[in-house]
Amino acid sequence: TEWNVSLWGKRRAFTEHVEKLAELVSAKTNGEFTLNISYGGLSKNTENLDGISIGAFEMAQFCAGYHADKNPSITVLELPFLGVSTLEQEWDVSMAVYNHPATQADLGRWNATLLMPSPLPQYNIAGVGTPPETLADFEGLTVRATGGIGEALTMIGAVPTSVTSEEARQALDSGIVKSIAFAPHAHMSFGITEAAKWWSTNLNPGTVNCPIVVNTDALNALSDAERDALMSSIGEARQHYIDFYENETMAKWWPLLEEKGIQQISYNEERLAEFREKAAGPVAQKWIEENTARGLPAQELYDLVVSTLSGS
Amino acid sequence: MTPTEIGIWVSMGMLVLVVLGMRVAFAAALAGLVGLVWIFWAKKGYDPDQFWWALTVATKTAGQVPHSKIASQALSLIPTFILIGYLAYHAGFTRALFDAAKKWVGWVPGGMAVATVFATAGFSAVSGASVATSAVFARIAIPEMQANGYDKRFAAGVVAAAGTLASLIPPSAILVIYAIIVEQDVGRLLLAGFIPGVFSALVYGAIIIGLALAIPSFGPPLRGFTWGERFRALPGALPILFVVFIIIVFIYNPFGGDAWGTPTEGGAIGAFVVFLMAVWRGMRWRAFRDALLETARLSVMIFSIIWGVLIYVRFLGFADLPGVFSDWITSLEMSPMLILVMILLAYAVLGMFMDAIGMLLLTLPVVYPAVMALNGGESVSAEMSTFGMSGPMCAIWFGILVVKMAEFCLITPPIGLNCFVVAGVRPDLSVQDVFKGVTPFFIADALTIALLVAFPAIVLWLPSLA
Amino acid sequence: MAMKAAVREDGSLLSRLDRALYRIEGAFGLISGLAVFGLMLLAVYSVGGRNFFNAPVRGYVDWIEVTMPLIAFMGISFAQRDGGHIRMDILVGRLRGRALWAAEFVSTLAILVLIVLLIWGSWAHFGRSFDWNAPLYSRDSTIDIKLPIWPAKLLAPVAFSVMALRLLLQLWGYGRAFLTGDAVAVPLIEDVATIAAREAEAVSGAEDKS
Ligand code: NA
Ligand code: NA
Repeated sequence: TEWNVSLWGKRRAFTEHVEKLAELVSAKTNGEFTLNISYGGLSKNTENLDGISIGAFEMAQFCAGYHADKNPSITVLELPFLGVSTLEQEWDVSMAVYNHPATQADLGRWNATLLMPSPLPQYNIAGVGTPPETLADFEGLTVRATGGIGEALTMIGAVPTSVTSEEARQALDSGIVKSIAFAPHAHMSFGITEAAKWWSTNLNPGTVNCPIVVNTDALNALSDAERDALMSSIGEARQHYIDFYENETMAKWWPLLEEKGIQQISYNEERLAEFREKAAGPVAQKWIEENTARGLPAQELYDLVVSTLSGS
Repeated sequence: MTPTEIGIWVSMGMLVLVVLGMRVAFAAALAGLVGLVWIFWAKKGYDPDQFWWALTVATKTAGQVPHSKIASQALSLIPTFILIGYLAYHAGFTRALFDAAKKWVGWVPGGMAVATVFATAGFSAVSGASVATSAVFARIAIPEMQANGYDKRFAAGVVAAAGTLASLIPPSAILVIYAIIVEQDVGRLLLAGFIPGVFSALVYGAIIIGLALAIPSFGPPLRGFTWGERFRALPGALPILFVVFIIIVFIYNPFGGDAWGTPTEGGAIGAFVVFLMAVWRGMRWRAFRDALLETARLSVMIFSIIWGVLIYVRFLGFADLPGVFSDWITSLEMSPMLILVMILLAYAVLGMFMDAIGMLLLTLPVVYPAVMALNGGESVSAEMSTFGMSGPMCAIWFGILVVKMAEFCLITPPIGLNCFVVAGVRPDLSVQDVFKGVTPFFIADALTIALLVAFPAIVLWLPSLA
Repeated sequence: MAMKAAVREDGSLLSRLDRALYRIEGAFGLISGLAVFGLMLLAVYSVGGRNFFNAPVRGYVDWIEVTMPLIAFMGISFAQRDGGHIRMDILVGRLRGRALWAAEFVSTLAILVLIVLLIWGSWAHFGRSFDWNAPLYSRDSTIDIKLPIWPAKLLAPVAFSVMALRLLLQLWGYGRAFLTGDAVAVPLIEDVATIAAREAEAVSGAEDKS
């Protein structure tokens, strides 16, 4: 069996678990079952779910926030201030939501089965101009941020402005925005660190959720041995991904901040708690209301996230 | 049959359709769709029961492409840059520039043609699309050249070739597209296009003068303008300088501090100013509507090619032809400079059959990383690099080279968009006439490209100051 | 202007249908042109809002993305009617009479097959983004301000359907030309002198205005 896998961009920390999965599956089946990874050749990233639904390819990655209406259930994982602090936690809470029947039904409309997340650390903000030393300084600051993170930042007076990740650097250089919210690997790969003067070390407003899905029919059509090879490799892929992000990406991140002379700004715990209080509750409440109206057990999904995180 | 073999067969089939006269956008899309059906059906071992499945999946896959690829902010520059060209035409900019250039340089051998090149270069500083630039100058310059005894094919060739300057001299839609595909700084790339653009204009001028000296029937000089007439022609050309000034100030903000906006927005601001000027110069609803309809017509033609080619590119993705190509290039045991020259030659050949944007979309995802790897990686320093320039500088240099090649392909047969447009505007000229007339400029372009390869400083000096 | 071939008109049913459809196509073309103009105004407004009022347009990119299909598709049939989609006419340009009409018929038929399939495919693409039971009928939204995408996706099958009607008329026109030698409602590869005169007239008209 040969599966086509639709990713985008280039090979990076964000895709290491899929690369590892491909390697393991092929080894375990003596090359009988291979994953043929394509970076951008098979689909546009915002249409990966459509491609899965059509059956054009068998496995794909996408981010929930690209198109909230396609996958409302998993956007719960992109709410601000959920309190995730490690990649392991991010993985576990994602899997808890992925395994919920409502989520499975939501993605089932696309003939998709959620396989695993691509956990990212908390977003933080890098920017130019006067650094926002206190949360009050965020008043009027233009920031490139999307989804729940953007909404949270609105609560402290920041002005979210929409540009794509590809145009983020350009927008920063040309003054369209003064700051960019990204995970560290994206700050590096989109060149934000080349231009930024400061970085918010501990704002931690939230992150994005980018699952790996497979076409359900294709999954069911696998032989027992093949399915076993795939499912039994997820644990090792997870470990590889997390090690890679921590040992390769984050190991480069801190020295890079020093090397580029980027000022690291920390906020005191008291003010952060204030921010969380201001933003987390209202944004989550709004999410629950909107998605209950869609017919999702929104409160239940939100509670599941909270309880999973407090249990771990 | 392997996917790669299917890819090669379908590509040949597409070329046959194009040569037989099927409209290019639809030939590419049809080839892509047929190719997708073939690939999916092959995956099922050509089982007759699975043909319907293969057709369904292929059709739905192809059916995504038009909307999903077109709905992009980057591409929104193209219609804006086309609109600015037509508005500038209606504002009388083209006529005024051409008049001034004619009076100042008409006296040299081939003077009208040289004037056309310089006026086009000036107009290029507000127009971002080569095709639109050729279209407006075909209306003004070709009739006048013919009236003054110029060979009509040569006149058409001058306009077709000079139009390509619009994509080097900023603003330029195609430079923006390159910057977006390879994720490089748009502002510096646009800046980098300026000197090579002016340089190309000078080379075109030199070729014209040489030809006119060798073959007098090509372009007799135009004498008899007084200095008074010359200076009186200048004020008409001033508004365009004003617009250029506005765009530059907007994007590069010489007063210190941050720029006021992106090049995209700079283009829109420029178009808006030109629009106000056109209204001030007496443009009324009818002329405005014509400008809009012309913009719509040219935009839809370009966008149809874009999505048509992208359906074909999607098929190539499933056939993994780019991957195979990439592996092959990086496995070559040749000097990197030779490989670079071979890549540029490959662009010249590919450009004969493809339109510029389609070609960049098709090839850059594969070729760009290979070129960066040849130079020693994306973040290599100038000292450690193969071509003697840092990674970002190499991206700019290669970008200008590729865009120059893409412009070259706008004038090469059998599919040279500029030549089609010129022939379309001047129906007394066939496409073949224009291709004949543009031939001398192949030599000019080859020379320019050779110089840009040999002396990267021509490209890199200006952006290195920024 | 650019690449606009002549289309003969007469009192026949075919020609009347052609002109009726052309009016719709012209309106679509104008909508497309106005959309370009609107994008330009949006950019000016966005720049102004940001620089003078510290109030950037929220969802600027989202608005661009939902506007682009208006520009990219709406005029497709408008361009086809006048022979505006480019092609290589080195070979067909040499054909005359029945051979020419037969060749045009076959290539138009091939385009029709393609367009019918694309109507199917783009309709399915629209269908995946539309849901009668969802808020705003939306099953797909833009990244920033979550605009429903289905109206933009619907434009593709709509424009392609008008294109299919146009192609049917052209097939009729080419078929009739093949049988009777009388070409109506199809773009002509014209007698050079005729076009030159017509075009010179059009250009001098435009010149006077500028
Ligand atoms: Na230009
Ligand atoms: Na060409």
